[in-house]
Amino acid sequence: MTRSQRDEIPTGTLDLLILKTLARHGEMHGFEIAESIRATTDDVLQVEEGSLYPALQRMLVKGWLNGEWSKTRENRRARYYTLTSEGREQLQNEIDRYGRVSHAIARILEPAS
Amino acid sequence: MRELCRRLLFLFRRGQYAADLREEMRLHIDLRARRLADQGVADARHAALRQFGNRGLYEDRSSETWGWTMLERILQDFRMGIRSLIKTPGFTAMAVLTLAIGLGMNTAIYSVVNAVMLRKLPYSDPQRLVSLWEQHQQKMQNFSSHGAPVGSAARGGMKRTTVSIANIADYESSSAFRGMASFDDTAMNLTGLGLPERITGDQVSWRFFSVLGVAPAMGRDFRAEDDSPSAEPTVLLSYGFWQRRMGGDTGVLGQTVALDGVKRRVIGVLPKGFQSPAEIAEGSPHEFYIPAAYSEDLFQKRGDHDVNVVARLKSGVSIQSAQADLNVIQARLGKQFPDTNKDMYPVIAPLRDDLVRDTSTALWSLLGASALLVLIACVNVANLLLVRATGRSREMSVRLAVGAGRSRLVRLFITESLLLAGAGCAAGIGAGQLILRALIAMAPDGIPRLDSTSMDWTVFTVAAAVAVLTGLIFGIAPAWHASRVRAADALRASARNSAGRSQVRWLGALTMAEVALSLVLLAGAGLLLRSFATVMGMDLGFQPDRVLAMNINLAPARYRTADQRLQFFEALERRVRGLAGIQAVAFANRLPMRGSWRSGLNLEGGSPDGETADFQAVNPGYFETMGIGLLRGRSLTDHDRQGAPPVAVVNQAFGRAFLNGADPLGHVFLYANNDRVTIVGVMADIRRGGKEAAILPEVYLSAAQTSLYPTRLADFAVRTSGDPARMVNAVRREILALDKDQPITNVRTMREIIDLSVAQRRFEMLLLAVFAMVAVALAVIGIYGVLSYSVAQRTGELGIRIALGAHPGGIIAMVMRQAGGLIAAGLAVGLAGAMLLTRYLATLLFQTTTTDPLTYAACVVLLGGAAALAALLPAFRSARVDPMVALRSE
Repeated sequence: MTRSQRDEIPTGTLDLLILKTLARHGEMHGFEIAESIRATTDDVLQVEEGSLYPALQRMLVKGWLNGEWSKTRENRRARYYTLTSEGREQLQNEIDRYGRVSHAIARILEPAS
Repeated sequence: MRELCRRLLFLFRRGQYAADLREEMRLHIDLRARRLADQGVADARHAALRQFGNRGLYEDRSSETWGWTMLERILQDFRMGIRSLIKTPGFTAMAVLTLAIGLGMNTAIYSVVNAVMLRKLPYSDPQRLVSLWEQHQQKMQNFSSHGAPVGSAARGGMKRTTVSIANIADYESSSAFRGMASFDDTAMNLTGLGLPERITGDQVSWRFFSVLGVAPAMGRDFRAEDDSPSAEPTVLLSYGFWQRRMGGDTGVLGQTVALDGVKRRVIGVLPKGFQSPAEIAEGSPHEFYIPAAYSEDLFQKRGDHDVNVVARLKSGVSIQSAQADLNVIQARLGKQFPDTNKDMYPVIAPLRDDLVRDTSTALWSLLGASALLVLIACVNVANLLLVRATGRSREMSVRLAVGAGRSRLVRLFITESLLLAGAGCAAGIGAGQLILRALIAMAPDGIPRLDSTSMDWTVFTVAAAVAVLTGLIFGIAPAWHASRVRAADALRASARNSAGRSQVRWLGALTMAEVALSLVLLAGAGLLLRSFATVMGMDLGFQPDRVLAMNINLAPARYRTADQRLQFFEALERRVRGLAGIQAVAFANRLPMRGSWRSGLNLEGGSPDGETADFQAVNPGYFETMGIGLLRGRSLTDHDRQGAPPVAVVNQAFGRAFLNGADPLGHVFLYANNDRVTIVGVMADIRRGGKEAAILPEVYLSAAQTSLYPTRLADFAVRTSGDPARMVNAVRREILALDKDQPITNVRTMREIIDLSVAQRRFEMLLLAVFAMVAVALAVIGIYGVLSYSVAQRTGELGIRIALGAHPGGIIAMVMRQAGGLIAAGLAVGLAGAMLLTRYLATLLFQTTTTDPLTYAACVVLLGGAAALAALLPAFRSARVDPMVALRSE
């Protein structure tokens, strides 16, 4: 059972991962984003791949992403996502927030010495 | 903002967006499957799908992010609701019809209330206008003189009187008022414009229009110099007069109009839609306004109460503080003029309230009754819905089982209720239009502003609000029930179809409520009916059948002296008496039903204080024409003329009021120029004011003998051998032969006059009776429906009982016991409610208390009987259950 060896993505972190991935690679379609997240996290973070799509839709509505339809190398129609300027701003906010939260958690978990 | 645009874009192109999303997901799964296949995974496609997760769920979640799901769900609910209502057309029609009747009645009555009582008066800033009248602390009845107060009718008009012209200047000195004006109805003979006609108008003090805040549409308002006996006679015309009688002639200013033989110069035309307060109160058009031009001596007579008063409060002054001001002035006047002003109090009230005071109780009662009817309709529809919901408990449990949220089910029920309410509201407004038109057509004259009643947006708003409210009210029970369905239970139960206990309780409670509400309405209608019957049973004391009555108002300019008037009427009597089909001819100051002429009386040997009698100058034929019987002594004869010893005839009440019950025959009173008048006859008592009026002491003087009253001769009547209506033209010909310019008004049979006098009472009674009958019908349908349903639910149980040998009579008794309990409980609650609510009808009743035991008993028997009959049918059906059929369906 491969599944049980993986961890669920903490809620709220998915947005951060998507934004970061797009920031690093520029233009990607959904499958590529999923693969990229999988690769960079060494398969540790498990995501039910479908859950990516509501998140992408939400970010489209918020205006953080742009979606453009074009062809893949295999000549199939795919929606390619890019970051907007608002998206970049949001990424920075998310990183800052993540930093604050993880720092706080780390301090709680630190052995009192 | 841009986000909203994107959302809207999505809303309109959601098909496209959803397709995009699906394509994206398909691509993802394809690519994943290929990748897995490359890695050598067997059945790569399934693995890819598994890894992707629930595609439908993610699609839903995606579209939710666009934020229109709620709306779509509501739309979906509506579509489902409409579908399921269409699937049960019988139920839907029944429910909509019930609501349409309830809401229709309600909208129609509300429209009337709105038009009559809530609508703004056609004056500027009308909420600052007050009506002022005077009220005597004791012996109020002595002041209901001929100058009838505005809007006064038979009811409630006794305590107040019109205002003394002399007092007005004192009241006006209060700093609370910006202006005060007096006005009084007047009817005059219009000649020179087509046929002679008697038309109604107002005589007003010159500030009348400026107090009301109304300026003439053409010409000018009255000025102080117009309002004097010596001024040139002027007149302001109503818009209707100008349009109808003068064809809207723009050169009307400066022309003259002849009223009562006096040529009056037209100085202005009032704006379209203007109605004087008296016109609003009476509901009949007032066509002209002339300056009152009170004579100097009227300004001295503080004991004469002749005019109506309207005043405008200064802004920021409350009615209470203005009243306090007036009380101070009254105290001063009371000391200064103790004879006339000691117990005479000026009272003010908002003009609008005052104008509608005779109809307001009736209208509010009817509105209350129509609200009860809406409630009953609600209860009935709730009953129907509940019965229907039970039939659908299986559908509901299936929906629950496949994952519908409980809140979704509740929403579904509420949606259906609101749909029904919406349809009922639309149908109700349609029905309301029809009912309203019927109401206006049937309503008696004299309801202020009823003619101009129509449905405006406030009516629609109220109807819509009531509909939504009712939708929620009757939707709650089934929705609550639905929210308690448990998937497993209901699925299991649906096989046996047993009614849930809670359901039976609900149905029982609703049925009880229906019976109770119906009883309240029925009791109200019953009390009005009993009052009406009492009124109709009152003995008038005269015989109104085969009598034709009319007004012949001789213009004072043409008939100056009492003799001239008497000669006209005597000549007319001679001519008419000769006609075929005429049995008797009468003339008088006032016929019965046409008002009275009261004053005190100076009996030799002393009169009791404060008693007054009605004085009439009549011809000898008066008693035969009116059918008033002679009890003792003799009647008036043709020999009782000037020169002969003065005589009078009185009625029995005269003896009771003035002589402590002794026989008046032979008594003498001093009259007019100290004539010694001997009482020579006693006539039967009559109710001069009609069936609801008290019996007054009457003094009948011979018109040919007395000097004082012939100037006021105005009423003429004939007793015919056949249908009195057929003598109209013959009599009219004789009048015009005597004077071709003489208008004849109020030509009516006495029977019609009597009918008109009870028309409003009859109308209120009929309307409430209709409400009560609809209510009882709804209650009966409700009981029938609920019992039929509960019997159907218990078919199995009843089958077993019968199979085990239960007697059919026992089964019927069992069902009837159940029904009887509900009905009895409903009647008990209704009785308490009726006692509580019929109090508000008190002023509409006549010699009937609001707790009249006979009426209540009759209502309980009637409603209980009808309800029991409605229960019998299902009860008999229960006894005929075939055990084989019942048990087989298990």
